[in-house]
Amino acid sequence: MKLPGIHIIKKKMAAAFKVADEVMRGKAVSAMEYETGELDHIFTLLVLGMFVGIPSPPIHITMELLPDMEEALAGMIDKVSTAHDPLGDLFSVLEID
Amino acid sequence: MQPELLFFIGKGGVGKSTVSATTAFHFSGLSQKTLLVSMDPAHNQRDIFENSFSETPRPVNACLSVKEVDTDFWIQKYLKETEKTVKATYHYESAFNLDSYFNVLQFSPGLEEYALLLAFDAIIASSPGASRIIFDMAPTALSLRFLALPSVTLIWLEELMKLRNKIIAKKEIITKIKIGKKQIETDKIRSRLDGLIKKYRRLDRIFQAAETRINLVMNDDRMSFSEALRIKAKLQEIGMHIHTVVVNRAMNGSIPGYISETFNDQRIALFPMEKNGLMGCAAIENYISDNAASFKEFG
Repeated sequence: MKLPGIHIIKKKMAAAFKVADEVMRGKAVSAMEYETGELDHIFTLLVLGMFVGIPSPPIHITMELLPDMEEALAGMIDKVSTAHDPLGDLFSVLEID
Repeated sequence: MQPELLFFIGKGGVGKSTVSATTAFHFSGLSQKTLLVSMDPAHNQRDIFENSFSETPRPVNACLSVKEVDTDFWIQKYLKETEKTVKATYHYESAFNLDSYFNVLQFSPGLEEYALLLAFDAIIASSPGASRIIFDMAPTALSLRFLALPSVTLIWLEELMKLRNKIIAKKEIITKIKIGKKQIETDKIRSRLDGLIKKYRRLDRIFQAAETRINLVMNDDRMSFSEALRIKAKLQEIGMHIHTVVVNRAMNGSIPGYISETFNDQRIALFPMEKNGLMGCAAIENYISDNAASFKEFG
């Protein structure tokens, strides 16, 4: 006898598995995402450091890349205001309370 | 066909402008289309030719034109173009906040040699018919920074490209793990870096080409000799070599021993002293006809 609603249970289980899969995949890459984000910040500082008072590469390199770096520039300026707590930032990624 | 490029560099006051002018005039006398470019902010060519020059080449005779590079013009043009691109791609507020930066950028160190490089690139692109382009260069420091600019810029760009590629590779791994399939990242910054690397490699190739000749002008005195030694060493550091050493305002008709011993790998041209000074085309013509042997080292 076919139980009514079995396909609903199957569907829910599949959905739950999908969520669990996404969570696990997200956890697997969170450290790498943080590392990539930091590499992005280093790249931004190397190119646009002059805007926050850090010696930069030859000025024409900054000028040539500037049009494609709006988001990075905004991110760097935001980062300056939260730069007093870099360890807090790192600990939250490593889930250390 | 790439024109032959002759750069005349040396200490301030040794006579780079008169040597450049007479050499340019010499080649035009051989019916070879020649462009003389003044890259020295002092712009002495207008006094030598008793004429006014600007960014637009002005003919002096059938085969010779003279142009003065205006660095301020190139800096302003470049800043305006960059500002326009930024305003077209940024949100209004971000672009508005950058306004104040653009006002001070014109005073940034490094822009003067970059302006010379922009002018140089434009000259090469717009002079396809010239057999020779002769550059009367600025005093030593600016000239050396200009000549080193493509190789120094390439070092920066290649390192930035390595870092960018690393970031993109990590982003691709993250995407692959998250969504289960690989997606190729399209990155505007990498595309722009790639374009810049190609541009500076092209400029570097022009600087290193056999048709590009760096000529060092000096006088028979210890001060210009000392600076000539420093120029030689600096050029070697950036992989460039002196083609001909010009001993200008030579008094006794022979190459001083200390110069021929030090520059034994280079050709040496002797430009005798002209007591009445070189002003005007007639004086230059007389000088060339009296000293034809001085120009044979330039081909």
